[in-house]
Amino acid sequence: MDYTRREFLRGAAGVSIAGSYVTGAALASKAESGGSRSDKSGNILVVVQLSGGNDGLNTVVPYGDDEYARNRPTLRLPQDQLHKIDSYIGFHPRMESFMRLYKAGHLSIVQGVGSPNPDQSHENAMRMRHTADTEDLYRQRGWLGRAVDNEYPAGRVDAPAVFVGPIARPFALNAGSVIVPSIRSSGDMVAVQIPGQTGAASEKRTAGGDESLPDFVRQCRAKAYANSKRIEAALAGASGSADYPAAKLAGDLRTAAQLIRAEVGIRIFFVEIGGGGIGGFDNHANQKGNHCSLVGQLSESIAAFVGDLRRDKLLDRVLLMTFTEFGRTVKENGRRGTGHGIAGPAFLVGGAVSGGLCGRHPSLTDLQNGSLKMGIDFRRVYATVLDGWLGIESQAVLDKRYEPLDFLDT
Amino acid sequence: MGAKDASREEAAHIAALEDLQDPGWAWSEYKPSVSAPWDLARVGHLYRRAGFGANWAQLQEALSQGPGPTIDKLLQPQGDLQAFEREYAVYEGSAMSVNDLRAWWVRRMIQTPHPLLEKMTLFWHGHFAINGENVKNTGAMLQYVRALRGEALGSFRSMLNSVCRDPAVLLGVGSGASRKSMPNDNFAGAMLESFTVGPAVCSQTDVSEAARAFTGWFVLRGKVRYIEREHDGGVKRILGQSGNFTGEDVVRIVLEQDAAARAIVTKLYKYFISEGQEPDAKLIAPLAESFAGDYNILKVVETMLRSNIFFSQAAYRGRIKCPVDFALGIVNAFEGMVSTTHLAEDIAALGQDLYHPPTIRGWPGGRGWISSATMAGRSNLAWSLLGGSKPYGERLDPWAVAQKHGASSLESAAEFLVGLLLGDDAADGDCETLIKTVQAAGGAKPQEQLRRFAYRITSLAEYNLC
Amino acid sequence: MFYKCERHKNRRYAGFLSAVLSVLFAVQSPVRAIPSAAECIPKNAVISVEIARPKALLEFFTGEKVTKALTALPAYKNLTSTPKFSELQGIIGFVEATLQADWRTGIAKLTGGGVTFAVCPDDIVVLIVDAEDEQMLGRIHEFFLDIARGNGYGGEVESGKDVTAWTFDGKSAHTIIGKRFVFASSLDGLKAVLELRDKSGSENLTSKPGYQSARRSAGADAAAIVFADMTLLKYVPEISSLLQKSTGNPLAALAFAGIIEAVQNSSRLGFGLHTAEDKLILDASVDGNVGGAGSSAAFALPKKSDQGVMPNLSVPRRLAAMSLYRDLHEFYAAKDELFPERTSGLIFFENMMGIFFSGRDLTNEVLAETGPEIRLVAAEQQYDASIGRPAVELPAFAAVFRLRNPESFKAVAEEAWQKAIGLVNFTRGQQAMPGLIIDRPTQGETKFTVAYFSSADAENKAQLAQRFNFRPSIAMPGDYLVLSSTDGLARDLVDALNRETKSPPASLAGTHSEVEIDSSQLASILEANRMTLVRGDMVKKGKTQAESEAGIDMLIALTKLTKGLKVSIGTDGRLTNARIELGLNLQ
Repeated sequence: MDYTRREFLRGAAGVSIAGSYVTGAALASKAESGGSRSDKSGNILVVVQLSGGNDGLNTVVPYGDDEYARNRPTLRLPQDQLHKIDSYIGFHPRMESFMRLYKAGHLSIVQGVGSPNPDQSHENAMRMRHTADTEDLYRQRGWLGRAVDNEYPAGRVDAPAVFVGPIARPFALNAGSVIVPSIRSSGDMVAVQIPGQTGAASEKRTAGGDESLPDFVRQCRAKAYANSKRIEAALAGASGSADYPAAKLAGDLRTAAQLIRAEVGIRIFFVEIGGGGIGGFDNHANQKGNHCSLVGQLSESIAAFVGDLRRDKLLDRVLLMTFTEFGRTVKENGRRGTGHGIAGPAFLVGGAVSGGLCGRHPSLTDLQNGSLKMGIDFRRVYATVLDGWLGIESQAVLDKRYEPLDFLDT
Repeated sequence: MGAKDASREEAAHIAALEDLQDPGWAWSEYKPSVSAPWDLARVGHLYRRAGFGANWAQLQEALSQGPGPTIDKLLQPQGDLQAFEREYAVYEGSAMSVNDLRAWWVRRMIQTPHPLLEKMTLFWHGHFAINGENVKNTGAMLQYVRALRGEALGSFRSMLNSVCRDPAVLLGVGSGASRKSMPNDNFAGAMLESFTVGPAVCSQTDVSEAARAFTGWFVLRGKVRYIEREHDGGVKRILGQSGNFTGEDVVRIVLEQDAAARAIVTKLYKYFISEGQEPDAKLIAPLAESFAGDYNILKVVETMLRSNIFFSQAAYRGRIKCPVDFALGIVNAFEGMVSTTHLAEDIAALGQDLYHPPTIRGWPGGRGWISSATMAGRSNLAWSLLGGSKPYGERLDPWAVAQKHGASSLESAAEFLVGLLLGDDAADGDCETLIKTVQAAGGAKPQEQLRRFAYRITSLAEYNLC
Repeated sequence: MFYKCERHKNRRYAGFLSAVLSVLFAVQSPVRAIPSAAECIPKNAVISVEIARPKALLEFFTGEKVTKALTALPAYKNLTSTPKFSELQGIIGFVEATLQADWRTGIAKLTGGGVTFAVCPDDIVVLIVDAEDEQMLGRIHEFFLDIARGNGYGGEVESGKDVTAWTFDGKSAHTIIGKRFVFASSLDGLKAVLELRDKSGSENLTSKPGYQSARRSAGADAAAIVFADMTLLKYVPEISSLLQKSTGNPLAALAFAGIIEAVQNSSRLGFGLHTAEDKLILDASVDGNVGGAGSSAAFALPKKSDQGVMPNLSVPRRLAAMSLYRDLHEFYAAKDELFPERTSGLIFFENMMGIFFSGRDLTNEVLAETGPEIRLVAAEQQYDASIGRPAVELPAFAAVFRLRNPESFKAVAEEAWQKAIGLVNFTRGQQAMPGLIIDRPTQGETKFTVAYFSSADAENKAQLAQRFNFRPSIAMPGDYLVLSSTDGLARDLVDALNRETKSPPASLAGTHSEVEIDSSQLASILEANRMTLVRGDMVKKGKTQAESEAGIDMLIALTKLTKGLKVSIGTDGRLTNARIELGLNLQ
C-alpha cells in the first residue's frame, strides 16, 4: 500500500497524491529544465533486464579461485579462453566485445550485487528488483515509475520513459501519474501523416507561459508531429550505418539509439533480454550452450549500441545499466545447470562511467544457501544512477538514502 | 457555444466564475437562458460526461426536448434494460480470458441503453482499482465489475460491503489470507486510505487495528470464506471508536466519518465537472452532507448533472478525455460497431487498460493522459478507425453518416461533422475556417476526403477535451 | 512421389515433348500462326493463371451435383430473397438475351479456347480470353461498351493498323482480335501484349525456364495452371516477413520443415488443377533445393528413397490427422542454428525436461530414443455423463512416437510423465487450485496411465470449466508411445496401433508430411461450439449476433459441403511437390 500512506506521509509526491494537477507554469518549467540540476537533465538512462537470473560466475569468471572449477565440473569455462581482466577474474569467452569496452574505459563492473532479502521465486525476486522494495510485494509502483512521477508531477510534453520490446511492460516502469508507453519499434512513436494535413494551421496558440488545458494538448500534439519528423529523419539517416547483430536485444537497442538520436525527450529506456516470464537466463539444465549464446548476444548488442552512439558523439549522454533478479548457485546441479542464487555482477556502460571494478568479488566459500552473498545492495546502484546520473532525488524514490557507488566519472 | 456572440459569452463566462463561489447557485438546476442557451455545445457536453458521446439523432432529440427530459432519460433510460443485461450476461459469461472481458466491456459501453451506468461503472473501477494481473481469475474479475455495476448508481454503503467480500478485490490488493496471528493490512489500508477517508484522516494504527477486524477472511479456490477461529475477537480502536469490531463495523465506522462522503463527492466532482483544480470546500459541503445521510450515489450524480455549474464554463471542456472517451466518441458519433477486441487493446496502448488499472488508485487522468507519445498514438488510433483500412475496415463511414443526416455536398458534410464532433465550437469559434480545410486534400473522392476531415477534427485539442 | 511412378513419368514426358515441339515450332515456322495466349504475356510476369480447359471446370462447378449442393446452402437461400439477387437475375436474363444463349453455354462459348491472366510489375494485369464464338464475343463486348459509354467512361482509345483499342473505365484498355479478347489494366500494358503478338519469337513468359518447368510439373491434362515467379515475389514485404517469421518459431520450424526452405530457395512456384468425380486435385511444386549439405531441413528428409511417413492412424470421430517424418534427435542437435535466440519458452522446456528425465541429455538420451515417424491425431471427444460436459468442448489430441528401444525406455517415459503430472499438481496446489488424480486402467492388453480432475463438487455438470476437456494420458502399446490429452483417444489409439502391428502398412516413400482433415467431424465440433465461435466473432470483428451467426453457419455449411482434405508433401531434393485433394460431399 505504498501508494497511499507511506508516500503521503513522506510528502515526496504530495502533489500527485492529492490528485490535483498544478496548472501553473512554475512546476512545468521546473520539470522541463530540471531546475537546479539542469546539468543532468539531458542525461539518458538505458536499463537492460536479464530475465531468469543470470549466472554471474560464468559471466565474470573467478578463474583465479580453485573453488570455481571444483564446483563446476561440467560448466567451468576453460581458463585459456577467458578474456582476463586481472589475475582473478575474466569475461566469458563469448564476451570479447565487453573486454574491448572494458579496456576503453566504457564499462564498469559492480561485483556482488544482491538483495538483503533474497527470494528464490522468479516472480517475487523480480518484483523486488522492479519496486526496489524488498519487504512489500504489493508495492503499487516500480522504482522508475516513482522516479518519473516525482520528477514530472504536472505532466510533461514528452513521455519521460519508454519500454522497448515485445513482452509485457516490466513493472519497474509502472507509474501512478504518467503514462509510460510500450513500443516495439521507433515507428510506434510516429504519428500518421494524412495527405492535406496542415499541422496546427487552423488553431490559435496562446503565447506565453499560461498553459491552459487546450494549449497543453496543442503543445503535445505539435510535439508529436515534430517528433515524428525527427524520428523519420533519424531512421532515414541511420539506415545501414550502424552494424547491429541479429539478436532481438540488438534490435531494441537500435530502436533506443534511433530515438536518442531523434531527440524526442525520452530520458529512460528499458529493454530486456531473455524473453520475460521465467526468462532465458534460468538455466537449470544444459546451461553451457544456452548461457554462452545469451552472454554473446548481450555483450555484442551492447557493444554495437555503444559504437552507434559514439559515432554521433552521443555516448557521453547515455548510461546503460544491467540487472537481473538473482544470481545462481555456486555448485552446479546434476543436470548441467545451476539453481537460483543471490548475488552477481551488474554492468554499467557509457561515456561517463569511470570504468574498472566496483566492489569486491564475493567469496566462493563463505556462502548463503549455496550462493554468493550480497556485497552491494542493488538499490545502491539505483540510487547512484538516480542522483548521480538522472539528477532525480533518490531518497524520495527509494524511501531512504543509500551510499553512492563510484562507477560514474566525477 | 454560440461563436457569434463572443462578447456576450465572455460576460457569461465571468459571471459564471463569480457564481462558482456560491454553492446555492452552483447546485441549483440549470435553466437555459440567453447567456447559457441549450445548444449543441451543451448537449454534446452532457453526452460526453454522462456517456461516451452521442450520435446525431441523440443530439437532435436532446436539443428539441430540453435539458430536463434529456437528463431524466440519462438517469433512467426507457427500454428493456433487463433484456440487454440478460444478453450481456451470456456474452460476458462466455469470456475465456480477462482480455475477452475487456473486449465485451468496450462493446457494452458502445451498445448500452444506459451509458451513464457504464460511465459510473468505469468510475468505480478506477476507484476500487483492481488489476486482473494480480487476481489471475477471469470469473472473479467478471464478478467484480458486475458487482460494481450493480451498485454503480445505487448505495455506496452496499458497494463497500460487497467489496469486503469480493474475491477479486481481496486477491488484487494482496489479502488472500488474513489470520489472527498475522493480520494482513493490505485490504484494511486500501479500505481506509484509498476507498474512503484517505490517508490524511487515518493513522497507521487505525489501519493495523482495522486489519485485525478483517481477520478470518480468506480467498480459497476463487471464493471468499470466513473462518471463525482465525478472527481476532479482541477489542480494536479504529478512528476514535473502540469495540470488538468485525469487518462490517469497519465499514460502518468509516462511513460515519465526514471525510468519507467528502472524498467521494470530491472525486465525483472531478469526474463530472472539473478536474483542473481542487474544488472549494464550500462547494462540496452541501453535497457531501447530503451524501453522508444516505450514501445514495444516484442522487449526487443527478444533482451534479442538472446543476448550473455542470453547464457553466467552469465545467465545459474542463477535462482531458480518457482514451475510452476519445475512441468511443468516434465510434458512437459514426453509429458503427467495430472490433472491440482490437479497440480495447488500442485503448490499453494509450494508457487505459481496462481490468488492469496501474495502481490501487486507478488511472492518473488529467494531463497524465497526454504526452507527445500518446498524442501520436491517439492520432494513429483515430486514423485506423476512420481511415477505412485494417484492422477496423470500413465499418465507420463519415460520408455515409453525413448523407444519412441530410448533407449533400462536401461542405455541408464538413459542417455536419463540426456539429457532430465539436458541437459547432472549435478553436475560439473558428469553425468556418476549419470547414474550409475539408478541400485541402483535393482530388480524392468525397468519401475519402471526409474520412480525412473527420480525422483532422479528432486531432484538435477541442476533440481531446471532455 | 505420391503419384504412381509410371503415370508420372508419362505425364512429364508428354509435357516435355509438347514443350519441345512448341519451341521448335515457334523458332522454325516463318509464317507463324496466332501465338498462344501465354506467348503474349510479357516475360516479367510475376504470376500467371492459365485456365487451359475452362469447360472442364465449368462442367465441374456448374454441373448438376455442385449446383444442387450450392443452392441447398442456407446462405444461398438467404441470398435469393434479397433485392440484389433479383437485380442480378435481371442482368443475367438481359445478357442471355444479348448472347442468344443460356449463361452456361454463353460462358462456355466465350471462354472455351482458354483464359489466361497475368500480374506484371507496376500493377499491370493482363487478361486474355479465347472465345469459340467470334460473333458472340462481339455482341457481349458491344453490350458492356454500351453500358460503359452510358456511364461516360467507355469508348475507343486508339486504333492502329489492324486493331482498335477500347476502354470501359477510361484507364484500362482492351481489344478484340478475331476470337481473342485482350484486356490490360493500362494502355501501355495492352501495347506490350500486342507487341509480343506481332514480333514472333521475342522473349515472353513461355521463354522463362521456370515457367516451362512449372508447366511440366503441372501436367498436360491440368484444367488450370498457375505459375508464380518466386525470385520476384520474395521481394514483396509481406511474403518475405512471413517466410522469416515462420523460421523463428520452434514448432513452426518443426512442422513446416523442408517446406519453408524449399519455398525460400525456389525460383518458381507452379500449380496444376485437376478435376475428378467429386474431387478437386491441386498439384503444386516448387523448385527450391532442400536437403543439401548443411541444410536445416535435413532432419525432415527421409534418408533412403523407400522411406517416408507412415499412413495416418484412423480412430473413431477423427477430426484431423498428421503424419510426419521428423528425426527429432537430428532436429534438436541443430538447435543452435534453428533458434539463435534463447527464448524463455525454450529454456523452460529444457529445464522441465531436465527434471522429468532426471538429468538425461535431452538430445542424445531422450530424443534419440524416438524414431522419425511421428503421428498426430485430433478427434472429437465423448463425455461421460457421470463426469459432465465442459461449456466449451475442445477436441482431444494425441501424438504417437515410435520408440527405438521400447524395452529400456518405457519405464523412463512413464516416470517422466508421472513427474510432470506431479509438478502440475504441486504448482496448482500452491495456487489453491484442484489437482489431477492418477489412475492406471487397461485397454485390451495394454495398461496405461490417465490423470483426471474430479467433477464431484462441480456446481453445474453441464457447464464444466475448460480443464475438464483434459484427461492427460500416456500409453505404450508395442513399440509405440502415445501421449494423449484424453484417455478416450488414448484407448482408440491403442486399438489402432495394435491393429497396425498385426498387419503393418508400407510407409509412403518420398513423402515427409501428410495431413488429413475429416470434414463431417469438423462440422460436428464446429456445431458443438457454434455459440462460442459466434460470440468470439462478434467482438473480434465488431459484428452483430445475426451477422456472426450467418458467417459461422456458412462456415459449417461449407465444411459439410466437403468430404475432406488431404495434403501430401514430399521432396526428391530437387523439386518439392505437394498434392492437395479436396473431396466434395455431393449427393
